[in-house]
Amino acid sequence: MTFRRQMLTCGAALCLMTWVSTLVVAQAPVGQEGAGAQGGRGGAPPAAPTGGPGRGNFVPEPVPPPENFATSKEHYEFLYRLHKGGTRHTYESIPKWEGLWSAAGNTSTGLFVKGGGFGPGAAGEMIPGVLTPAYEEAFKKRRSLGADYDRLTTCEPAGYPRWLLEPYVREFVNTPSQSWWMNDLGNDTRRVYIGQEHKNIDGTHSPEGDSIGFWVDDMLIVHTIHIYPNDYFRGQPPTSNQFESVEVWRMVPLANGERRINVNVTFYDKLSLLRPVTATYTFRRNTALEESGYRMRHWECESNENSFLVIDDKGKPATQFRLPGEPGFDDVRGVDPRRNPDLPPDLPGQAKNPIFDDAVKVK
Amino acid sequence: MKTPRMLLGAVLTVAAATTVVHAHHSFSMFDNTREEVIVGDVVRWGFNSPHTLMYIKDAKGTTWGFEGAAPPAIVARTPRIDGFTFKPGDRITLIHCPLRDGRSGGAIGFIVTKDGTWYNPADGGCRANEMNWRKWLEAGYTSRAQAEAAAKK
Repeated sequence: MTFRRQMLTCGAALCLMTWVSTLVVAQAPVGQEGAGAQGGRGGAPPAAPTGGPGRGNFVPEPVPPPENFATSKEHYEFLYRLHKGGTRHTYESIPKWEGLWSAAGNTSTGLFVKGGGFGPGAAGEMIPGVLTPAYEEAFKKRRSLGADYDRLTTCEPAGYPRWLLEPYVREFVNTPSQSWWMNDLGNDTRRVYIGQEHKNIDGTHSPEGDSIGFWVDDMLIVHTIHIYPNDYFRGQPPTSNQFESVEVWRMVPLANGERRINVNVTFYDKLSLLRPVTATYTFRRNTALEESGYRMRHWECESNENSFLVIDDKGKPATQFRLPGEPGFDDVRGVDPRRNPDLPPDLPGQAKNPIFDDAVKVK
Repeated sequence: MKTPRMLLGAVLTVAAATTVVHAHHSFSMFDNTREEVIVGDVVRWGFNSPHTLMYIKDAKGTTWGFEGAAPPAIVARTPRIDGFTFKPGDRITLIHCPLRDGRSGGAIGFIVTKDGTWYNPADGGCRANEMNWRKWLEAGYTSRAQAEAAAKK
């Protein structure tokens, strides 16, 4: 089967998805979405940002690479040649993915655990033959510890590939020369350089790595390398510093007017994966957040995070919480003397929250 | 490329729902098997990521600290919650899951303001049930354990 035929098939799948999703939305009881947005009382954990109709978890089946490529570079370059370098967009023609988006259904959690075990203490049997022995052991250890601690606790950005799955909010800005994809969690921004080669003058890796890409009409193909050792999610397997990927991104307007962004991604990692694996991620337009007036702000994690790591005498990591007056406590809105130790402590107008704090002082 | 791949490409699945249910850290420090009530005056309501934070002063003058969900997770809830919902000095009743180690803090379950409005800024650290607590609070219970013990009698 040629890649072109595969893409045609993919297109058919997307059309079918539109149709199915439309049916689901049309038949959903009125108000069901609102109930979900309340934070999942009654057993389910609180949901992340919710909103908009039709937030079912219909996702396309992952499409593996058209050939068994040895490396992500081979895969990406094959696609680049196939599409003759792709489409050169202008500011007018570039696909616009404006608005606020939230992560929706995906297939990545089913890559390693039967039934898609997910998150802390993820239940389900590990799928053999996916991870290398060293990483399979590491994953077993992580599962045995119960994920009571997460590297993000101390405000490290999620990085890639976890960026694809983390909750909270995304904004996608596409220009002819770059795409900027922002997650408010950890101020974690991915930059995709269109029609360029990889560059690494830093001589190191980074949380999101180096991404290049090219457009094929409304579809963006992205190659990412030079990534920190991260993970797929809290409680999911770690990745190595050899982790790379090829992603195919596309916004799909559904028949009811709702929009989804679908991502078909193949992960390569010679240290952690026995062979490349492919997963699908989706993002849904979060209209409820947009209507609420929400705007993405800088995550003040460095001055507004009172959770921290503790390790017990058996080596089990867990999370702890600081209270006012305790060493290291971050005051979320007051005057933190650690910010400007070179200023008089009673200098007026230095509280981070003048709307309330200064008003209280005046009284 | 083999035919099964073509089929794969065309087939749609209802994937395991992974709708994002976790904060950026675990909630192991909070005891979500216990739910308790505290009444106090708002010292500070921090409506900011990565977590909303509520600090209140109780009748003895002790300052307590509570963690809630991040703004994007709660701003669209009903009733709406934003940075102006709780003001310094407001008297509130707060249902929470306390810290396991007994310090003066916990994870927010619900906040009830003087006018009787119930707000839900909870994250995964506390899963108090609103229907239960509406009854329990009206009956004067100050903890889930107390309410459940009374129900057994």
